[in-house]
Amino acid sequence: MSLAEFLPEILLLAGALLIFLFDVLGRRRLELVGGVAALSLGGALLLVVADLGVSGLAAIRTVPAGSVDLPLAPSLYAFTSLGFVFQVTFLLAGLFVAVASLSRPSDEKGASVFFGLLLIATLGMMLVAVASDLIFLLLAIEVTSLSTYLLVAYPRRDERSLEAAMKFFIIGALSTALSFFGASLLFAAYGGTSFYALGPGVAFVGFPLLAEIGYGLLIAGLGFKVTAVPFHAWAVDVYDGAPTDVAAFLSGGSKKMGIFAFFLVFLGPILLLRSAPDALPATFGASLQLTLGILAVLTMTVGNVLALRQKEMKRMLAYSSISQAGYMLIGVAVGTYPAIAGAAFQVFAHVFMKTGAFLVVAAVAGLGVGPLIEDWKGLGAKRPALSVAFALMLLSLAGVPLTVGFVSKFVLFSAAVEAQGFYVWLAVAGLLNSALSVFYYARVLKAIFLDRPDPTSPVAGPLTGRIGLARSAVIAVAAVAIVGLGIYPGPVLSGISTAASHFVGIGA
Amino acid sequence: MVGILSLTLLTLLLTAVLTFLSGRYAKFVALAGSLVFLAEVGLMIADFTQWAGFGAGGVPQYNYSETYPWISLAWLHINYTVGVDGISLILVLLTAFLQLATVVYSWNESKSPALWFGLVALTGLGCFGVFVALDILLFFLFWEAVLIPMFFMIGYWGGPRRRYAALKFFVYTHVASIVMLVSLLALAFYSGASSFDFGSLYGPARTLMPATQVVLFLGMFFGFGVKFPIVPFHTWLPDAHVEAPTGGSVLLAGLLLKLGGYGLIRWAVELLPTGAHDLAPLLYLVAFTSIIWGALVALAQRDLKRMVAYSSINHMGIVLLAIAVGSSLGITAAVLLMFAHGVVSGLLFMVSGSVHHTFGTRDVSALGGITPRTPALATMVMLGALASLGLPALISFPAEFTALLATWDQLGYWVVVPLLLLVVTAAFYLWMMQRVLFGPPKGIPPTAHDLPRVELAGMAILAGLAIIFGVLPGLLVHVIVSSPISGWP
Repeated sequence: MSLAEFLPEILLLAGALLIFLFDVLGRRRLELVGGVAALSLGGALLLVVADLGVSGLAAIRTVPAGSVDLPLAPSLYAFTSLGFVFQVTFLLAGLFVAVASLSRPSDEKGASVFFGLLLIATLGMMLVAVASDLIFLLLAIEVTSLSTYLLVAYPRRDERSLEAAMKFFIIGALSTALSFFGASLLFAAYGGTSFYALGPGVAFVGFPLLAEIGYGLLIAGLGFKVTAVPFHAWAVDVYDGAPTDVAAFLSGGSKKMGIFAFFLVFLGPILLLRSAPDALPATFGASLQLTLGILAVLTMTVGNVLALRQKEMKRMLAYSSISQAGYMLIGVAVGTYPAIAGAAFQVFAHVFMKTGAFLVVAAVAGLGVGPLIEDWKGLGAKRPALSVAFALMLLSLAGVPLTVGFVSKFVLFSAAVEAQGFYVWLAVAGLLNSALSVFYYARVLKAIFLDRPDPTSPVAGPLTGRIGLARSAVIAVAAVAIVGLGIYPGPVLSGISTAASHFVGIGA
Repeated sequence: MVGILSLTLLTLLLTAVLTFLSGRYAKFVALAGSLVFLAEVGLMIADFTQWAGFGAGGVPQYNYSETYPWISLAWLHINYTVGVDGISLILVLLTAFLQLATVVYSWNESKSPALWFGLVALTGLGCFGVFVALDILLFFLFWEAVLIPMFFMIGYWGGPRRRYAALKFFVYTHVASIVMLVSLLALAFYSGASSFDFGSLYGPARTLMPATQVVLFLGMFFGFGVKFPIVPFHTWLPDAHVEAPTGGSVLLAGLLLKLGGYGLIRWAVELLPTGAHDLAPLLYLVAFTSIIWGALVALAQRDLKRMVAYSSINHMGIVLLAIAVGSSLGITAAVLLMFAHGVVSGLLFMVSGSVHHTFGTRDVSALGGITPRTPALATMVMLGALASLGLPALISFPAEFTALLATWDQLGYWVVVPLLLLVVTAAFYLWMMQRVLFGPPKGIPPTAHDLPRVELAGMAILAGLAIIFGVLPGLLVHVIVSSPISGWP
């Protein structure tokens, strides 16, 4: 192991330590700590992208066909091409939030806590993306979780934030306990916790019942992290209570970490089911896949149906975030590399549309507009550019053509159909859900562009607040990326597809 | 080098964007754009001497075709591919004329005119795209793009129950498009085609197992059928038409319904001939049901617009019958009939719109003897009704005649069913004319004036088409038969 491999992670850690050092020294100016955070995130992003550019996705590792792209001997970590894709995603989410937060009111306290924890949380996610051992993975998740509990609570005077943080913490502790218990059962069943040991490289030995219970507990434990139904109930209260920028980070970043964990943990048995169905007890693999499929359908349907009834913008976005997790889980349940690529692209796209949308919500709240959807009435006439950017994000979430959300869903659902058989129904469920989701997004668009503001609403007034240059820039970048990737997804999509094919050991 | 099809797409896109942005001058921009569109289509038709024929491996080629790679992965190849044959070219011509007529007819639109004309242009863009797209994703993209402007036209400019109607329209057609998309994707992946291009689907799809073809065809039949619309999935249509503004109705009946027919021919019948053949009995059943149901329910309507809407179901039933027959004569008849119905129903919806705002009602039983007061409007009512009931020398006659001839070839005496229902169609139109146009004046408010000039001009475009192509249907047929599926054997 060489330290140079972990340069991006080290950069993040150094940034966080520097911020805490400044805090001790009493230098807490927003521009300073925020600048350090943005620079270390940006630097880490450049390093990861440069690494991708130098080595190229194809050159990372060749693995025997039918196995996961992980080291051939047990190890704690492994650099996989798909892991790099997720690292880029996480860093982008962190960077967006960090840069946008530079535009906060400068008299706000707690800047060093916010930016320092943001860096630590991103660091944990970066480690998740290179994990090749179950315990390493769970510890990395814990690094992120602990920092995000604190992030939710950092406005210490705000009772809503504190309540949300408390909920988040208790549920998080429960999910961690479940995950570790599951991991210990898997260790008992397989005699190892490396994904190599769990993966398809070895014949299935040990105790099927223990493994089944272990995987079941991991579905629950990780299910909390990705807000899969029925483990979703905490998410809306937490997103709603947390500072909006933190919610942007949670939905665009840390939840996606859970998706990658799902890939790492469950792809082994699923791939084994595909390549050598006889090696597993027949009921085991099929029931795992069926469970994940049901989980995906439940998650998107419940998320969408509940989103329909929401009156508050943030809660609506939180429920839509749950439903989006359902689409991503399709990729795990199908388990072919096109499906993984589709889910990974969906995750990537999500940074622009969901993180972007939460950042807009924070910006609009900064203008003095209330939290309800009806408070946004007439905003289109007052703030046309901001409203159009927000509209693009919502249209992309709904999967409207010529946005990146359409392409990612199209690829994901195509992949489900490509896998044929049972999976076609997952595509049908996903498509019907996309149709359903159009309604609540359209409702928001109607309020913004077609309705007149209530006379008492701040929108009816002069609306003089400022959004800030940094935040406007992030929102603009996200909006441009949504359209750009929607019209010409070519290079990014093919990179992710290659990465996914390496991940399951098909590309060489 | 950008080909003429891409150029036309660009024109339409530019028209839509500029119209949205140009405020008070939106109608002029929309008119100019529509005229350029028509000119481009005219150029294409003038230059269209014969269909490009079959290429290597028996794959049909298309005129003016262009293809650029769009998304290229190991397992997914999507291209921007456009091209036309006779069938699509005729429907493109219909699109150009109807867009122009709608812009002219709704010239005096005062409620958010920039938005209105922009949406009209967007509908034209979507329909044009559907007719020329030769790739699954591109096709689906345009297919969905048509939904959005129509949803807003009904929901924003519509009648009192517009929200309900817009929602119902959206739900029905969107669920149908999802089933269609899944069927198309399944077609691509189950056949192992090398890309989503129509050309590369053609060979593998036609050699699929009959059972697979039947299942896929069923999915597409549902997807395209709801747009037709076929009984029993037709209930969105009368609601949408009654609530839609006149221009919206014209585009809905004239263009959107044609998308279903075109899609069925191009993507279902042409790619899955065995499926179409095996499911022909089902298609006949649905077609006969639609023909009978549409005509009989139309007979019972008192609302002029609802009557025209149900007669659309009847006419589109004949289109489905002609497609189900499966012979090249049948396909030719179906396309001709779609063109005819597009023109005539467009005219009839304009007429009912004008009746509504001239007399304040569309209730046939509340009106009478309007001819002396509004001669121009009465003439148009008469022309539209006569064209729709299939009077010789007007455009529906050759189309329906060919359709029935093709049915006779395949089904023999069953042709009596649509023939009898043609009599019913004639009956309700004649009865309507007798009540509304002639007799003692009734229900005419003192302020009623004859047609405004722009409305008359919009109608005149369509009426002219109905007469010209009624006398010389050969001009259209000559183009329609230049395609892989409707060519003479």
